[in-house]
Amino acid sequence: MAVYKRGYERYDGPLTSHTTRLLAMPRFAWARLMDQKLVVILLALSMLWPLLCGGFIYLANHLSLLQGFGGNDLGKMVEINGKFFLIFMNTQAVFSVLLAALTGPGLIAPDLANNALPLYFSRPLTRLDYVGARMAVLVGLLSMITWIPGLFLFIMQSSMAGGTWFAANWSLGVAIVGGFLLWIALLSMVALTCSAWVKWRIVAGALVLGFFFILAGVSQMVNSILRVEFGTLINPTRAMYIIWSAMLGVEVPSGPTPWECVSVLAALVVVLAMILERKLRPVEVIS
Amino acid sequence: MTKFRMRQAWTIARIEMHRAFLSKRAFWVYLLAILPAVIFIGHGIEMKLRESRYQGRGVTPAEVVDSFTKGEKVEDVLKRAPKPVEDHSWSYRRSHEDEEEEGETNKKRRISERVEGRSLTYFDGQRRVQVGFENGVLIRKHSDTMKNFEEDRTVFAGVFQYFYLRLAIFFGCLGIFMNLFRGEMLDKTLHYWFLAPARREVLLLGKYLAGLVAATVIFTGGALLGFGAMLWPYSGAEMQAFWSGPGPSHMFWYAAAAALGCVGYGSVFLAAGLLLRNPIIPAAVLLVWESINGFLPDLLQKLSILHYLQSMCPVAAPIESDTPALLRLILSPAAPTSRGLAVLGLLAVTMLVLWAASSAVKRIEINYGTE
Amino acid sequence: MTAPGAAPDVVFENVSKFYGEVLGVNKVTLHIPAGITSLVGPNGSGKTTLMNLMTGLIHPDRGAISVRGLSPRDPENLMRSTGYATQFDSAPRWATGMDFVATSLALYGYSRAESRERAWKALEQVSLTDAADRKVAGYSKGMRQRVRLAQAIAHDPQVLVLDEPLNGLDPLVRAETIDLFRHYAAQGRHVILSSHVLQEVDVISDQVILIANGMIVAEGEIRNVRDEMVEHPSQFIIRCRDASRIASLLFNESHVTEIRMNDDRLGLLVMTRNREEFSRALTRVAVAGHVIDGVIPADENVDALYEYLIGGRS
Repeated sequence: MAVYKRGYERYDGPLTSHTTRLLAMPRFAWARLMDQKLVVILLALSMLWPLLCGGFIYLANHLSLLQGFGGNDLGKMVEINGKFFLIFMNTQAVFSVLLAALTGPGLIAPDLANNALPLYFSRPLTRLDYVGARMAVLVGLLSMITWIPGLFLFIMQSSMAGGTWFAANWSLGVAIVGGFLLWIALLSMVALTCSAWVKWRIVAGALVLGFFFILAGVSQMVNSILRVEFGTLINPTRAMYIIWSAMLGVEVPSGPTPWECVSVLAALVVVLAMILERKLRPVEVIS
Repeated sequence: MTKFRMRQAWTIARIEMHRAFLSKRAFWVYLLAILPAVIFIGHGIEMKLRESRYQGRGVTPAEVVDSFTKGEKVEDVLKRAPKPVEDHSWSYRRSHEDEEEEGETNKKRRISERVEGRSLTYFDGQRRVQVGFENGVLIRKHSDTMKNFEEDRTVFAGVFQYFYLRLAIFFGCLGIFMNLFRGEMLDKTLHYWFLAPARREVLLLGKYLAGLVAATVIFTGGALLGFGAMLWPYSGAEMQAFWSGPGPSHMFWYAAAAALGCVGYGSVFLAAGLLLRNPIIPAAVLLVWESINGFLPDLLQKLSILHYLQSMCPVAAPIESDTPALLRLILSPAAPTSRGLAVLGLLAVTMLVLWAASSAVKRIEINYGTE
Repeated sequence: MTAPGAAPDVVFENVSKFYGEVLGVNKVTLHIPAGITSLVGPNGSGKTTLMNLMTGLIHPDRGAISVRGLSPRDPENLMRSTGYATQFDSAPRWATGMDFVATSLALYGYSRAESRERAWKALEQVSLTDAADRKVAGYSKGMRQRVRLAQAIAHDPQVLVLDEPLNGLDPLVRAETIDLFRHYAAQGRHVILSSHVLQEVDVISDQVILIANGMIVAEGEIRNVRDEMVEHPSQFIIRCRDASRIASLLFNESHVTEIRMNDDRLGLLVMTRNREEFSRALTRVAVAGHVIDGVIPADENVDALYEYLIGGRS
């Protein structure tokens, strides 16, 4: 009997939306990541600094509690302003690099190593969808330790300090969310590109760490040997720090201007996107 | 039998060295190793070119250059020193707010004015002196020594300790030593070694030797190349004094620190590659630990490989330039350990780590499916 | 029991191996004598686990293993007399066929010249000398299979362990390789192999070990194993001219359970529960004047054993 006579009929029931289908990938990835003890531990550790900052905000707004300990002087020290949030963002940036190095490489590398891309792309999924879905995993995860606690701290401060403070400093909230989103975008691109570049999860993790730490070292080396300041531009962390300083209205450190930093980081993201585009092809490598 | 095992270990090392030195995957390690030398050479070339360019344009006596004072007019400066090596002019608009009386109230008014800027650079044979003018009046003066040996030596110390030891050797050893076992797991080729008539400890020793020889040659070579590149622009009496004085000892200790860095970090990463499925986690922890080490109490500072390596360095490194001011306040570097103790300490730690690695290698099983 | 002077067996005593919560092999007790022994079983049944255990690539969670008196935890001695061609289809990227074999020989203490000479000989035995100087990474699947075999035999081992050694080989090389195994076995060595090609196992093996779900289902010579399987009637094909008459005579025998007649009416497939009784019955039929051209056992092969013992399980 011919196979077609068995009466195959394709499914013609209702389909979920494109976005829902796209979110299936991050949903499974998040569940898998949350099963990893190390990810959970690092997430918990990443929350310590925001908690501490929350404590600072509370104390800064309840100086009476500190009367016995020279409260007014201490209050001046922990004034909640752009500088305070810059330090908060800078610390969380370190945790986010570690988290990205731990979780990012497992997103694309195994698919490439196991020739799984043709499987993905044989479904109604474009390369852009695939990258978007993989990026969503990191964006979701990194948001938990960056702009979400940052925004929470900002709201906490606004509610404690009152409307006047909020009216004068609302731009800090925008800067925290915007600045962290820029950072997450850069970090995700780096992590995904490293993951696609080397195929091996472990090596990709080392590459993410190396990317940030070695570039920071090289930038410092260029600046100190050549007695210049443009070397800062090749240090993504420092360049982002300069951009954040400008966004938060804090004195910008000497060296490249925020716009120069924006241009270099944008160029970096374009290069990373090109590498990703080149590496993510639906071909099977026979080895 | 022991002699045979040693020969076996050396055979393994020879086979593995090929991979450690020539594998395409390891080429970035060479880049890390020679990067300081490349930048120092670039710096040397730039200094030499600028010096010859300035000398061609004219040398202004030091006493004349020193006589420039703020408030002087540009014409007076040019009369005394007519041969600047660089002369740049520009103009821009500057605005500021001014208060003006209008009836009974003061009113703020934004005033915009045109500013003529000019910068003259003089060279007195040693120093480069920049004088800046606004509307023809000297408003700032800045001088720096074109070739400053002491400064370059300090810069090299900083580069060596903060970049070379902490990052280049760290990541280089991470790549080389983890590749020895974990890399073979990923390539699915480790079983060939396990099927050889050699004890696992002999295999470990052979592989460690291979990694060590490769890392030491690459990074000690890189350190010496960097040191040479730093010295290259200098000549004459300065160099003679250096080589007849502390020069050879400095060179030796930089090379020794680089080599011992490979010994220490190498053993740690070899063991991490054997003990853990994902060795990046201990690597990240170690990296963060070594990075924050300077901010820790004295005792904890001594629990790091970097502390002992830094203790061997002949010149103290300056505090990193981009360390925030607040953190600089709490930075209190632990007193360096004596060199002899540092070397012994590092070797003892290495032996301990290798012992742990040798008991791990005996337990390791071939199970590529889960890699 | 090993006869005095004979080579001791490969012995598994109550060996269990688990991969986390997944069973590898469970309570395996085996005595594998010299000769060609085939491990037969479906995918994931534990064949490779057994081979990895006896060569020390993995260690048992329980039990003990001895390979001709040597422990797999002592590679220094064990691997001098053991060669293992695994199923891992990988080789160092840098190596040519010659380097691949000669390099491993260097660890046996052979000089460079001797290593290369032995490597050449081994490559010759697997008909790979033409490609000796090409990178292994560029070899075809069959060539990679052969170079692994060459590496396993290069040091002239007493125990040869081979995971699916005939996979990907062309018929000519396959025949040569089987000859090589026979040659080894004839010298009193152990050749332990796993295979999915049951016909080949049938032809080349002195004994088989049937394994399913990590447990040994049967071991020994194929015929003996078959004899012990009383719950499955033995099958015989009888070629004869008077098939219907012979069939009616045999039906009278109580041990005969089923008879099928060939379409050409010149042959019968007889199923019997008692091989000896069946043999006597046939003699009686012949004495009665019926011409019997030939009797062939139909299920004394690994195929049938596999079907009886494992087929229903997997």
